[in-house]
Amino acid sequence: MIEARDVSVDIAGMRIVGDVDFDARPGEVAAIVGPNGSGKTTFLKALSGEIVHAGRITLNGRRLSSMKPVEIAVHRAVLPQATTLSFPFTVREVVKLGLVGGRSGALPGEDVRLPERALARVDLDGFAGRFYQELSGGEQQRVQLARVLCQVWAPVLDGKPRYLFLDEPVSSLDIKHQLIIMNIARDFARRGGGVVAILHDLNLTAMYADRIFVMHRGRLAATGSPSDVLSDDLIEKVFDCRMRVGVLPAGNVPFVLPQSAA
Amino acid sequence: MKAMANALEGDRSGRARIVILLLWLGLAASVFLSLTSGASDASAVNVIGDWLFGGIPRDAALSARDSLIVYDIRLPRIVLGMLVGAALAVSGAVMQGLFRNPLADPGLIGVSAGSSLGAVAVIVLGTTALAPVTALLGTLALPLAAFSGGLATTLVLYQVATRRGQTSVATTLLAGIALAALAMALTGILIFVADDRQLRDLTFWQLGSLGGATWQKIGSVGPIIILALAAMPFLARGLNALALGEATAGHLGIPVQRLKYTAIIGVSAAVGASVAVSGGIGFVGIVVPHLLRLLIGPDNRYLLPASALLGASLLLLADAIARTIVAPAELPIGIVTAISGAPFFLWILLRKRGVVDL
Repeated sequence: MIEARDVSVDIAGMRIVGDVDFDARPGEVAAIVGPNGSGKTTFLKALSGEIVHAGRITLNGRRLSSMKPVEIAVHRAVLPQATTLSFPFTVREVVKLGLVGGRSGALPGEDVRLPERALARVDLDGFAGRFYQELSGGEQQRVQLARVLCQVWAPVLDGKPRYLFLDEPVSSLDIKHQLIIMNIARDFARRGGGVVAILHDLNLTAMYADRIFVMHRGRLAATGSPSDVLSDDLIEKVFDCRMRVGVLPAGNVPFVLPQSAA
Repeated sequence: MKAMANALEGDRSGRARIVILLLWLGLAASVFLSLTSGASDASAVNVIGDWLFGGIPRDAALSARDSLIVYDIRLPRIVLGMLVGAALAVSGAVMQGLFRNPLADPGLIGVSAGSSLGAVAVIVLGTTALAPVTALLGTLALPLAAFSGGLATTLVLYQVATRRGQTSVATTLLAGIALAALAMALTGILIFVADDRQLRDLTFWQLGSLGGATWQKIGSVGPIIILALAAMPFLARGLNALALGEATAGHLGIPVQRLKYTAIIGVSAAVGASVAVSGGIGFVGIVVPHLLRLLIGPDNRYLLPASALLGASLLLLADAIARTIVAPAELPIGIVTAISGAPFFLWILLRKRGVVDL
């Protein structure tokens, strides 16, 4: 369980995140949505122990600010929006960096083949020998996810749930891979872990999130299940855009929703 | 080798181990070559023969002369060359990992210039303004001053180039140029006030040479370099993670701040000690890691030891060239490394242009 109470973050005298209460429970996918600049990424950085914050965050019962990086790394893995590499690492070498902390939770002897298995899960079978810098943006993003999966391969370790923090995990992916990645997240939660994902696609969010946290100008605007939260009024208030939930377009406008995927 | 590469695609650790083994052999060959070549015809083979078999009947006087040349002139020079070569190459590799930039090099970004300033200050002001310091520290004054100069430069550089945990490549190089210019200007002032005897000593700093190698010098800087080199392997995993960026390295459980400061202090110590005994020898720190990355990839667990070995070998070979090419006179080794290193540096730039962002 991750509990955040009254979390605020100031950067250069500006309040970016203010008094946010947030819970991530094992078994659930928690989605953070909100317009650009609403403080989503900054809040996720506070949650991952990356930046100084006011308020209180506990990770599986322990105060985050009292934990060392190596201890935090056992409980959660973080997928950033994009990662550029400065040296010509192969895909396998990048994925293997996820094992640097040595607590993947895989069975003994499984670690050697873990990069290949993680790559297969993100649909990058056979990419191990390629150079990371030669891949497309979407492929690089999936390599990073494979690395993150290696870090917390077992969703539960020593009886404690582990967490995946995903910052816009599908923003540079085609629709097939968006669904694959979101299924990985849901599967991780089903097996006892927890997922915190920043998402922009409200349809994907509605489809995969167990709970939604809507952020607006650094504060929490709403919390709850997708059907509770995604309302016409909330979307207008937060996104400043008058839209209606659940209304089909006119007959001559084609539309494709991820829910229709087989 | 091929079979190993196929077993785990994208895994270059098997190849790296073979390359490191070959580098050990290369180093042994370089040591042998350096022992046996030089301005005099002294034969290391004879000296080693004397040592092993208790004297083959030869001219005793000649034998004593050969022994002196080998033990007191060539051997300290070889040991010093290996230490300095390893220190410069490993420092280059660590700095490149730290700044996430394949062009970072102690010589390019002003660390060597800062070390030189510290060393020159001790040479010129050692008997006047800094007399209490040199009296207190003795032979350690020079390496410590060089270390402090290098450390100060690296710390300033890192502060200037890093904002919110991101180190800018362009800012690093430009700030390095500015700091190097400043250090060189201050060094210039010291040279201006130096007397004739000091000027002769100073010429040595500008060009770089292993010519002054003695067992005493090795005794004062050897431990510093060996200590710094011994600390580097502990940084390897952290530096690998740092390639993904500081934030991500932290997410993976690396104590990033401690890693950065250990790396900066280690590099400053190694470069400072090297500059103190051999002056500014350029390009070793950039050429060696770059060549090795082409061969075995950027994994620092293999790159750092391989850099130490290749750096040591290359500096011995460069010194062998410096000693023999204009014999009986001697070319400063800094000229040899710059003449071969600078075109190589340009070649890296041309090769990388457009393919990979610097």
